[in-house]
Amino acid sequence: MPDRPWRGREDMEKIEALLQIKKMCAERATDSLFECILYARDLAPVPALLVDPLFRTMPDLVVRPADAEEVSAILKLASAAGIPVTPRAGASTVYFNTVPARGGIVLDLNLLRGVVELDEENLTVTVKAATTWGELEHYLNTRGLAPLSVPSSAPSASIGGWFTMMGYGIGSLKYGSLLSQVQAAEVVLPDGEIRGLTPESDPPLDWFAASEGTLGIVTRLKIAIRRNNPMRHYLLHSPNLGEIAEVLMVVKDSGVTPYNLHFTDDACVQAMHRQGIAPDGVSGGCLLAIDYEGMPEELAAAEQTVESLVAVSRTVSFLSPEAALEEWDERYKSLKLKRSGPSELGGEVWLPVQSLVPYLADIKQLARRLHLGLCTYGHVASPERAIVMTMFFADETKVFDYIIGLSLVKKIHDVGYRHGGYPYGVGLWNTPYLGRIFTGRRLAELRARKERLDPKGLLNPGKLYRWPLLLNPLFFAVGMDCLAGIRSLTGGGSCR
Amino acid sequence: MTPDDKSLLQDLEKESLICGRCGNCRSSCPVYRVIGWESASPRGKISMAKEIFAKGHQDSLTGDFARRVAQCTLCGACTRECATGIDTRNMWLELRRRLCQMGQEPQAYDKIRDNLLARKNVSTFDNEDRLEWAQDLDEEPEHLDRQEGAEVCYFVGCVSSFFPQAAQIPLAVSQLLMKAGVDFTTLGGEEWCCGFPLLGAGFVDDAREFARHNVAKVKELGIHTLIASCASCYHVWKHDCQEDLAGYDLEILHTSEYLARLVRDGCLEPQPLDEVVTYHDPCDLGRNSGVFEAPREIIRSIPGVSFVELEHSRESSLCCGGGGNLQSVDPDLSAEIARFRVEEIAATGATVAVSACQQCEQMLSAAIRKAGLPVRVMDVSELLLEAVD
Repeated sequence: MPDRPWRGREDMEKIEALLQIKKMCAERATDSLFECILYARDLAPVPALLVDPLFRTMPDLVVRPADAEEVSAILKLASAAGIPVTPRAGASTVYFNTVPARGGIVLDLNLLRGVVELDEENLTVTVKAATTWGELEHYLNTRGLAPLSVPSSAPSASIGGWFTMMGYGIGSLKYGSLLSQVQAAEVVLPDGEIRGLTPESDPPLDWFAASEGTLGIVTRLKIAIRRNNPMRHYLLHSPNLGEIAEVLMVVKDSGVTPYNLHFTDDACVQAMHRQGIAPDGVSGGCLLAIDYEGMPEELAAAEQTVESLVAVSRTVSFLSPEAALEEWDERYKSLKLKRSGPSELGGEVWLPVQSLVPYLADIKQLARRLHLGLCTYGHVASPERAIVMTMFFADETKVFDYIIGLSLVKKIHDVGYRHGGYPYGVGLWNTPYLGRIFTGRRLAELRARKERLDPKGLLNPGKLYRWPLLLNPLFFAVGMDCLAGIRSLTGGGSCR
Repeated sequence: MTPDDKSLLQDLEKESLICGRCGNCRSSCPVYRVIGWESASPRGKISMAKEIFAKGHQDSLTGDFARRVAQCTLCGACTRECATGIDTRNMWLELRRRLCQMGQEPQAYDKIRDNLLARKNVSTFDNEDRLEWAQDLDEEPEHLDRQEGAEVCYFVGCVSSFFPQAAQIPLAVSQLLMKAGVDFTTLGGEEWCCGFPLLGAGFVDDAREFARHNVAKVKELGIHTLIASCASCYHVWKHDCQEDLAGYDLEILHTSEYLARLVRDGCLEPQPLDEVVTYHDPCDLGRNSGVFEAPREIIRSIPGVSFVELEHSRESSLCCGGGGNLQSVDPDLSAEIARFRVEEIAATGATVAVSACQQCEQMLSAAIRKAGLPVRVMDVSELLLEAVD
């Protein structure tokens, strides 16, 4: 067992429980530093200088349970001994949602994979929770079917993982959040009880959506699917943000709802051009990708809508069908801009769609003020909201500059907040924004659920409900402002 | 990565920093699928490479890391999936090269190198015996050994030349070429290993020497069309010999491409076969070289054959487990990867599983035997010969 700050009789119980779990799972459990270290981070390369004083991200044990029964057995032992448990599958988020805050056990759920049952008549599929969206999409597509919606990280994101996040992405505009598509789920509660949940059960299914793995471990889901209809793709370009946003708003609310509506701002298109990945002949301006799926008559009506909008617009034009198809084909590769980094920092904002234009105007001002190339892209996730990513380039090897760069992320969120937006996802790093994300009443309700299902606070501790002392909103705001002040005094650093 | 795609790989340090750890690579990695630990995933390996090489934490370079670097089939599935466009396949080769320079390579790699330097082939036989397989031909072609100015040179490859279980491939290719009236030759005892095992082990300079030798011999014979039945030999000729071939007119084809051409031109006329056939894309021929259609064209040209695609095919084909020297460092892992592929073959109901690489054929044959499936495994040339005969 690696070094840990445990002492005394209670801690002996923890060590014994860990050894028991290790014995039970044999080669599917490890405490080797070589393996554990990779479970101490997610996508975000946050420097140890910042992480280590706040959290103990190194797990004591990583276990790969084979089924729900094994998850249950582990949770029972962990619960009895008071060991924190952090569930993890795709680990494709950036807020340490799947990273331990207090050591303990990481449950690597990736063995819970595969399709359990396909019901083609009723258009549902039952899957094990760590199946990735890419795998499910491939499985369904080869049978003439498709998921209703998928995250933009589909090749790596797990089905259970997306459910326990907010579950909005590609296709959500037309088909709603993942929660609305899930008909039933199998969940292992923090005390180890295995429960089948539905929208009507107690606790109900919706408690677990966006709960970030803090209430239970989802091991199986039954979700609605669709026929894999033909698609049609359009890519529009305009030098004028206002005009392209106008098209976006009309298309979003027109008779045929787009499957996907993705926009890219001028700064981002310029960055793509510099990197050689912008559509041919495009070096700036805004892009709007509109993707439809449906029956031929729906596609024809959609085409008419898009064509008539472009016809009356002064500056909006069609890019080639090949460019539109390529944009669609690259939908899971938004990280491609990172080649210009090597690192990226940014904020993902759950923004009211009608605020997009004023938000981008303020982001442009912020970029000017900070001498920062702020690139923005995102997609419309519901009739009311868009998931908007505003990012800039950084270099994680320049630790001081990088930490200072992190302060600029707050500036992005501040702009989003002014326009009715808030961070998309909480994890650890967005806990200082809890007051923006939830009303006081809602937060109290969420905390009550946690108290009821996980009174010991052992499942994915540190996430979602409370900020750690050093990340309380006041300290956080002052700290970030100080860092931003240092940046302006020292002249910008390597973030650009 | 197709031959027309330019590798974006700049240097290991920069590329490891560019990796976004998104994990797109992980789902498609056959090694991760079997081992299951994050350290076995491409993003895990890059993460560790970043610490060691980009951040200078050389003390993180452990035997465990070296083992993980060797546990890779170089199948290129991760390259295809990478969201940031990292040429991960070349990154693994570069990592192996560095580990060799630091003396951290697996012992098995040293054995491969010592044997190759001594014998010029991967077997324990003398390189002059390269054409022994031809003794099984009813009629040995007249100009099989180093015929100057031949229309086509067949680069047989070490495994097909020396291992009896793979000899059916050169026998089938030769018989088909003879039936079609093609004037062909081989490099005979002057054919050296293509260098792929050396390249895959990190001995880049040695691999270059082997490639240079083969290129020089082809030039000496005045050959302008070269065909290879081994997918990895083909990949080396197509991608790694280009510098030495600069200014020399050499058409490089996989045997499946050349045979498909002969069928198209009416030089070979397949007769009906009553078989359900599926096709396994070799990684170095398909995903890593862009040749998908030619073997399928041959299969479809055979009347009576019912062709069924595997669940994962073409660019998203699953590896057989036999690439990247994996068999020499971790044969159990290789076999386990093959088992997954065989599950897909079984699901098609095929009576014949065809591939276009002797290594794939060997891996799949062993796994099919172990699974007790009533499926024959054949090279595409063997299937065509059966139809032409």
